[in-house]
Amino acid sequence: MDTLWQYQFRIILLGDSTVGKSSLLKRFTDGVYSDVADPTVGVDFYARSLDIEPGVKIKLQLWDTAGQERFRSITTSYYRNSVGGLLVFDLTNRKTFDHVREWHREVREHILPHHMVYILIGHKSDLSRDRKVTRDEAEQLAAELGIRYVETSAKCNSNVERAFELLTRDIYELMKMGEISTRDGWDGVKSGLTAKVLYPAEEEADREKSCNC
Amino acid sequence: MGYPPSGVQKSSVISEHCGHSVDSPVKLMVESSSSGGRGAEEGRPPPHIADVIDSKENTVQGMFSHTGTTQGEKGQLHSSQDHEVPESCDKVQHQTSNQPCGAKLPNGHAVKSSHPAGSYLNSEDNCVIANGELLADSRGGALDAVASAPPPQDASEDQTTSSEDPKDARNSVFNNTRSCSEGLSLRTFSSSTFLNTDSAPLSPDDDETFSSSDRPDDPSFTDVSLKPRNTYESSRRQSAPDNIPGVLSVAVADLTLSQRKHGISEIFSRNLFSRKQREAQSAPGWKLFGKVPLRESPPKDSKTIQQEGNPGNLTSVSTPNLLSSGEYEAKVSKSGQRKNLEFEPLSTTALILEDRPANLPAKSEEEAQRHRQEYDEMVAEAKKRELKEAQKKKKQMKERFKQEESIVNAMVVWNNEILPNWESMRGTRRVRDLWWQGLPPNVRGKVWSLAIGNEMNITSDLYEIFLSRAKERWKSFRETGSEMESDADSADRESSLDLIKLDISRTFPPLFIFQKGGPYHDLLHSVLGAYTCYRPDVGYVQGMSFIAAVLILNLEEAEAFIAFTNLLNKPCQMAFFRVDHELMLKYFAAFEVFFEENLPRLFNHFKSSNLTPDLYLIDWIFTLYTKSLPLDVACRVWDVFCRDGEEFLFRTGLGILRLYEEVLLQMDFIHIAQFLTRLPEDTPSERLFSCIANTQMISGNRKWTQVFNALLKDKEMEKSSSPTVKNS
Repeated sequence: MDTLWQYQFRIILLGDSTVGKSSLLKRFTDGVYSDVADPTVGVDFYARSLDIEPGVKIKLQLWDTAGQERFRSITTSYYRNSVGGLLVFDLTNRKTFDHVREWHREVREHILPHHMVYILIGHKSDLSRDRKVTRDEAEQLAAELGIRYVETSAKCNSNVERAFELLTRDIYELMKMGEISTRDGWDGVKSGLTAKVLYPAEEEADREKSCNC
Repeated sequence: MGYPPSGVQKSSVISEHCGHSVDSPVKLMVESSSSGGRGAEEGRPPPHIADVIDSKENTVQGMFSHTGTTQGEKGQLHSSQDHEVPESCDKVQHQTSNQPCGAKLPNGHAVKSSHPAGSYLNSEDNCVIANGELLADSRGGALDAVASAPPPQDASEDQTTSSEDPKDARNSVFNNTRSCSEGLSLRTFSSSTFLNTDSAPLSPDDDETFSSSDRPDDPSFTDVSLKPRNTYESSRRQSAPDNIPGVLSVAVADLTLSQRKHGISEIFSRNLFSRKQREAQSAPGWKLFGKVPLRESPPKDSKTIQQEGNPGNLTSVSTPNLLSSGEYEAKVSKSGQRKNLEFEPLSTTALILEDRPANLPAKSEEEAQRHRQEYDEMVAEAKKRELKEAQKKKKQMKERFKQEESIVNAMVVWNNEILPNWESMRGTRRVRDLWWQGLPPNVRGKVWSLAIGNEMNITSDLYEIFLSRAKERWKSFRETGSEMESDADSADRESSLDLIKLDISRTFPPLFIFQKGGPYHDLLHSVLGAYTCYRPDVGYVQGMSFIAAVLILNLEEAEAFIAFTNLLNKPCQMAFFRVDHELMLKYFAAFEVFFEENLPRLFNHFKSSNLTPDLYLIDWIFTLYTKSLPLDVACRVWDVFCRDGEEFLFRTGLGILRLYEEVLLQMDFIHIAQFLTRLPEDTPSERLFSCIANTQMISGNRKWTQVFNALLKDKEMEKSSSPTVKNS
């Protein structure tokens, strides 16, 4: 286990089936891309760390959900424990864009009174010829929801890191401002430092084996 | 490698050994037998002076008996010291007809045979089994010993002693041949090692087939593989690295990996190579089935190699001193072995081994000594590894064969006894036991069909009806475009159909058969589409494609559809595919009861890590393990699932957890979650099933059904502290 991470964020990927959630994650965590991959059934897990600032390492726990509507009732149970969410749609599939609002609303409702930090992702930007959603429209929606918008392509590895970095940074900033913090019984944010009262030396050692997530 | 002594056609020999078709295996065999192996006495130039062969080396290993051909082929082995390549072999050949090259172990040590140290084989040389097992050789014994005891080491000892033996002339000859054989055997060795894993199952008779008992002195040959071609190919491919003593195992592994990817191309390149080989080298005796003669000369130890220094008959090598014997062999051959040059040796053993070039200060004696020792150790290590590998492979082959045999037997029983009397026999102990062991592939579909049954009373006519309805709908969607529908129902339908299309190409992608244009693409599409027409209330759910796909692989179209609909209609499947969350939670809770009962340590670890069953069970249950387990293992799970019902699905889950318990106990949440949703690709069938067998679905005298039903009734469960509930 990493011993030097400061925080761990649980982030969830949301969006219709086949928009490319799994591909985004595979690209981000494994650096690979494949045109065909198994459909996600239930939930898949990925992990990666980011150095958000010098000396600040954030461990990202990424949950990849099945997009089919059928699975909503299962995946909603995962929203509550996530601090961040990528709302993903397929730039070449208008329907998936139209459903973003729904996704956003559903998640928001499920986690009240708490909040999640979102980012809107227009994916498959490499398929420019098949684009069905303009950048303007998407940016408009993002503004409406009060969130950022990034266009990505897992295939071409375009903006993938950036998307996750922006989201992570946003969460971190909110943490620094005190708007988000660790909570007992909440897995959204975990701290790599324990809050025990220890002798300095012990503290060091203890930090090493802090969280078991 | 050494070319066969004049008596044997080089090409035939080469082809044999190198995986080319053997022109005259018989001839080779005859050759070898005639060469008798008692060494020089047989009228061949006595290649071996002092036979330092271990009796052990002469033991023929089971599968890798060696055929007599080796002798002929042994031909010229160039001594590694001389760094002579095939040409030397040629030379040698002339000098000493019928001097088979002793097979050289891949790690550079020649298998000791009755050669004097450094001398190489004559027809009696034993060959090392390509896969590392040394064949017992006519030289009096099975090479079993070779496999088990590193002959090279012995050889080296003997080498020293035997070196006195041969005459000088012969020495040089031997030297030549030895290097030759070294090279060849190295190659062979590695290739065989690789091949043995991959080649078709060897019949148990293999062991006996090629034992050459008539020539005690004959080098033992390693049965490189049943497919000479493969042998050759791998040997060619591995030639360069193989030639490096000490690094052989590494090279082998690398090559093995790359070799695996080369299917057909192998065959082509093989032939190419063999031609060159033919020209270039004296092949050590290659057996019909790719046996490679062991180099008779004992492996050169460092000292000897150094001493042998620059051979007079070195040809093209410019810096012999800087190369290891293996490398040398690669470089040396003027005419042939050019190919070897491509594979420049990876090791720098030679640097340790050889004297420094003149322009550098010479090594001190103790440094030289140390280097020699190190070299010896490395070689010994490598040899040990090779032998171990070889043994392992042999064992695997045996098991495989046994398995296949039992499948064939089972098939007969199923077809002749059980299926005709299905109803009466299905419940018997005997049938249940056979069932557990796995249904033979060609009765599998039938038994699944019978076991799943047809409560829904679907007929193939009904299937046709639903299928044509589905096709109509697809057509109309295509025509009207999928964006037009706004009404919820059709939207659902649409997305179902769209989703089906997309999911089909994502079903078992590595198999390619379900992708567009693949043989089963339309079939899968049909079955899924028809199902959504038949059950619009369920529609298509991701995960179904895997189930339908497996059925299609085992049944005819209509039968697959019938099995599919009935299977999905089972209570557990219905609960999951309709995503009846409450019901699913009950299943998870029941699972946890038996989880805690069977694997308490892991259960607690999961609890404290907050790893709830839904996180891994959904994928497993939805797809009936077809996504998480290798297809053949999943099919065996299905076999018993058909026998035992849904309880078995959860029992399998526990079996998986048990199988990987130790590993899982070390992991944290995210790693466990990742691991369980992406199980290792090589989950072993037998071990998994034995773990499942060790999982008792009994908790406090209650079986699965009782526990589950109790939970169903238990309204309190909702408010219990079940973690699955907590997460919702």
